[in-house]
Parts: sequence; structure tokens; C-alpha cells
Amino acid sequence: MIGSGPNVSAILVFITFILASLGITYWAAKRTRSTGEFYTAGSKITGAQNGFALAGDFMSAASFLGVTGLIFIGGADALLFVVGVIVSWAFILFAFAERMRNLGRYTFADIVAFRLQPERLRTFAAVGALTVAIPYLIAQMVGAGSLIETLFGLPYFVAVLVVGGLMTIYVAFGGMLATTWVQVVKAGLLLAGATALFVLAMAQFGFDFEAMFSNAAEAHPRGRIILGPGGLYDDPINVISIALAFVCGTAGLPHVLMRFFTVPDAKQARRSIGYAVVIIGYFQCLIVVVGFASIGLLMGDADYVDASGRIAGGANMVSVYLSRVVGGELFYGLISAVAFATILAVVAGILLSASAAVAHDLYAKVIRRGDISDSDEVKVSRVVTVLLGIGTIGLSLWFKDINVGILATIALAVAASVNFPAIFLALFWKDLTTRGAVAGGITGLVVVVVLIILSPVVWVSALGNPIAIFPYSYPTLFSIGAAFFVTIAVSLSDKSKRAQTDRAAYDVQTVRCELGPSEAAD
Amino acid sequence: MANESEIFSDPDFQRLLAKRSRWRWSLSGALIGIYFTYCLAGIYFKDAFSQPAIGTSITWGIVLGYLVIALAIVLSMVYIRVIGRLYDVGLHGRESQQ
Repeated sequence: MIGSGPNVSAILVFITFILASLGITYWAAKRTRSTGEFYTAGSKITGAQNGFALAGDFMSAASFLGVTGLIFIGGADALLFVVGVIVSWAFILFAFAERMRNLGRYTFADIVAFRLQPERLRTFAAVGALTVAIPYLIAQMVGAGSLIETLFGLPYFVAVLVVGGLMTIYVAFGGMLATTWVQVVKAGLLLAGATALFVLAMAQFGFDFEAMFSNAAEAHPRGRIILGPGGLYDDPINVISIALAFVCGTAGLPHVLMRFFTVPDAKQARRSIGYAVVIIGYFQCLIVVVGFASIGLLMGDADYVDASGRIAGGANMVSVYLSRVVGGELFYGLISAVAFATILAVVAGILLSASAAVAHDLYAKVIRRGDISDSDEVKVSRVVTVLLGIGTIGLSLWFKDINVGILATIALAVAASVNFPAIFLALFWKDLTTRGAVAGGITGLVVVVVLIILSPVVWVSALGNPIAIFPYSYPTLFSIGAAFFVTIAVSLSDKSKRAQTDRAAYDVQTVRCELGPSEAAD
Repeated sequence: MANESEIFSDPDFQRLLAKRSRWRWSLSGALIGIYFTYCLAGIYFKDAFSQPAIGTSITWGIVLGYLVIALAIVLSMVYIRVIGRLYDVGLHGRESQQ
């Protein structure tokens, strides 16, 4: 039975990873003295390194553990997510990467505050960053806590303390340099682990894909339905909302956007996404096969799945269980450790984006109005990182039983409905004004939160009401629509003096975006 | 130091901007359009998507999903090769830096 005791190989691999990551942090800490070094590693990361780091942010527990679990339950509908991720990255490459790099410095607030009233937009962007980062952090930490509880036999609170403590140490001491390298190392480990899992799983079927898919359909209680669409969703509104959340949400995730500023110029920003697209694409292709293979190999095995089809420890455990079935105890330990390293590397990046929002955008730029020395700001960032780290640990202990999926949905939906409309319109629509951006952002946030509370996931499943007031599980179609509508309507009717300044600066902003600061200055 | 609003009204800059915008929106529009079509086709052509495309079990839904992933990767490579040149060549056709 799973969880009967600690797995020695998992613990050894995991301790090695922790020591290596602390070594990286020590090395990075000596090179992290200025704000530029703390937030963006001095913009000296190469395109290839940043590509691995970006891919690492996305090959999170959500895709490695979540997508295989989703395929195990509902089959081919999980392709909506898998394809959506890669489409969102290509969209970021086509429309945003170079422009963002040319315009920004540390956070995505630099983009929206370039021509709009800076204090108001930085406050808005910081709130947007935190409402994405905090639910994401809690979701990952709660997930990590339960995972470690099952795999290593450690109590939940010890597990949360370990994850929270390590993430805080990486960020507070090593800043973006440590965060990037920990993510690069983890991305390498995860790619190797997923490839091995794919090979070992397919070896069970003699590398015959046809046999593997047939086997999945035979083993699954729902039969051939899982090979076609409709296993998870069958109404168009939910499906469009999911698709929109991916296409728009990724471009609104603060910890992803921050990575654009770690490379020296627009050319390297473009190259980094090129690497990320290929790596993530490869990974997504593997993970779909792993998910389907796990149906045939785990379904009906009483150690992992009970008679009613429920997976011991939850659907997120599918990849990890599969590793034990196809690779034995040693491989099971390796994959468990990789899954844990994955969560650790991702939470560090999210924590850094939250710290930058509070320390740079709110404290240094709004409260102190930019009147703060560079070394003082670094100190403030480190203190803020520690405080946020402690806060997140506390919240994760408090919300032990929260539904991780709901938190992740909220985070991506907020990114898509609050941050994305502001960034998109700031970059591409001349008539956007300060008043319009703030009004639209508040609308997006309120609509997302209210609709999620009234949706079946919270209103019925969590609060126990008989019928959901809002019938769809995913709110993004409505919240993005509302945010864009209000932003545009308010901007167009805005006759204030500030609005004239906002619009007048668009030409200058466009030149900066297209040519970069160096070209425009000569 | 050239003034940024002067650069903006420079016909060379306007041409560059138009060319880049065309690529940006045609590639984004095409890919996002195909993705949404794929998502909705799964609902409205559920039976066709559940038919096997290869052998007896690999359905059209799975095959087309993989094709959209492949397309996204190919378009990204095209963007990096073709549009990259547009970005790296400066305003008046000179190499910005190499």
C-alpha cells in the first residue's frame, strides 16, 4: 500500500536537490546586491536559460500531476488544457514578448504605468499581482503538503514548513538569480523524469500506441467515451471560458511576465520564448500519452484505485503511482522527488513576483514616490519576502482542506480578467485612459470573484446549496468581457485632463515598444 | 538624440510598424482562431471527433489536438526566423547589434 513508510530513494534524491538549490542560493546571494539584480538578475540571463526557466514555471505540478489526473478521470477533454497552454505561449511570442521587454524594467506594472497615471496604475497592478500570486501560492503549498504527507510520511505542517521555508530562503537571499537557476535545474530534472516515465510506460505496451489507447478504453469504466471529446465538458460556454482563460491568463501571470525582464534585450526575450514553446510542447505531448497509459496500467489495481474508481490520495497522484508500477521503488522515489522539486521551484518564482509587487510597486514607487536608495529597496524587498513567506505558510496551514483546484482556477481567471485586459489595451489601444484601466480592472476582479462564489464549484460543492446561481463552472468568458467592456466604455467617455496626457503619450510608447530604449535614444 | 514623436511620424517607422503589426495579428489571429475552432468542434462534431483516425482507438480529437500543438510550434519558429529579422534590423535598415 502507498504511504506505508518513507521511501529511501525519494528522500536521498530530495535531500540532494535541496543541498544543490541551497548551494545555488549561496552563490546567487553574493551576486545579488542591487534592485536590478534582486528583481531581474541584472538582466543577464541568456535566452536559452530563460527559456528553460519559463518552461519550468509552466511544467508545474498543475501539468505534471494535474493533467495526467484529469486524463485519468475524463480522457481526451484534457487536451483543451494541453493545447491551450502551448497556444498561449505562441500568442505571447507573437504579440507581447519583444514589446514587453522593450518597455519594462522589473514588473508588469512598468508596462501599464508607462503612459497612465503611475501611482494609481502601480497600486492597481500590485493588487492584480497579489490576487494571482497568493491563491496560487496557497494552492501549490497545500498540494505539496498533502503530496509529501503521502510520499514521505512527514506530517502536513512539517511539509508546509519545509516548502515555505526553502522558497523564502531562495528568494530572500538569492533573488531572481537563484529563482531562475533553481527553476532551470528543476526543468531539466522534470524533462528527464517525464521522458523516462513515458518510455517505461510505453514499454509495457511494446511501444504500440494503438494498443495503449485501446487498453485505456477497455480498462476505463466509461469505455470509449474517454477517447473522444465530452468526457469532462459538453457545453460551449464552459469550453470557451476555459480556452479564454488559457489564451489570456498566461499573458497576465505576474511571475511569468517578470521573466521577460531577466534577459538583456528584445532579441533574447524572443529567443527565450522560442525555447519555452519547444520544451513545453514536447512535455505536453509526453504527458498526454502518460495520462492515457496510466488508465490501462492503474485502473483495477486495488492498491491505487478503489472499486468505485476513486484514486487513493486524489487524482494528482496518478503520475507518481504510475512511476511505481512501471519502474519499481527506485524510480517511484525519483519521480516523487522530482514532483516535489517542481512545486518548490514554482512557488519561489511566484513569491518573488509577489514581493516585487509589494516592495517595488507599492512601497518604493507609490508610498515613497521613488524616493528610496537602491540598497534600502533591496533590504525592504528581503523583509517583504520573509513576511510574505511566513504569511503564506500560515494561510496554507489554516486552509489545509481547501480545494486546490478552486484556488488555481481563481488565480488563472484573475490573471485573465484583471491583468490581461490592462496590459493588452495599454500596449495596443491608444485611447486607453487611467480611469478606464482602473474601472475595468476593478470590474474584472469583482465579476470573477462573485461568479466563482455563485458557480457550482463553490455554491453547491463547497457551500452545500442545492442549485448554483451562476450555472457555469468557469467564469472567464463573462469576466473578461465585462472587464474589456467597462475599460473601453469608461476610457471613451473620459474627458479629463489626465486622459489627454494618457492618449498623447501613446506614440512615444509605441516607438519605445518597437525599437527599444537604445534605438530610440540615439 | 532623436525625438520619439519625430520618429513616430517618420514614414520609415510607420512602414516598419505596419509590417510588424500585420505579422503579429495575422499569426495570433490564425492560431487562436484554430484553437477555438478545435475546442468548439469537439462539442458540435462530437461523433466525428470520436471516430478513429489511426487504427481503431486513436481518434480524430486526439490527432487534431496534436496537430494544433505542432502548428503552434511551427508558427513560433516561423515568427522567430522571419519576424525576428524585422525586429533586429533597426529603423533605417541597419543592424541594431549583432
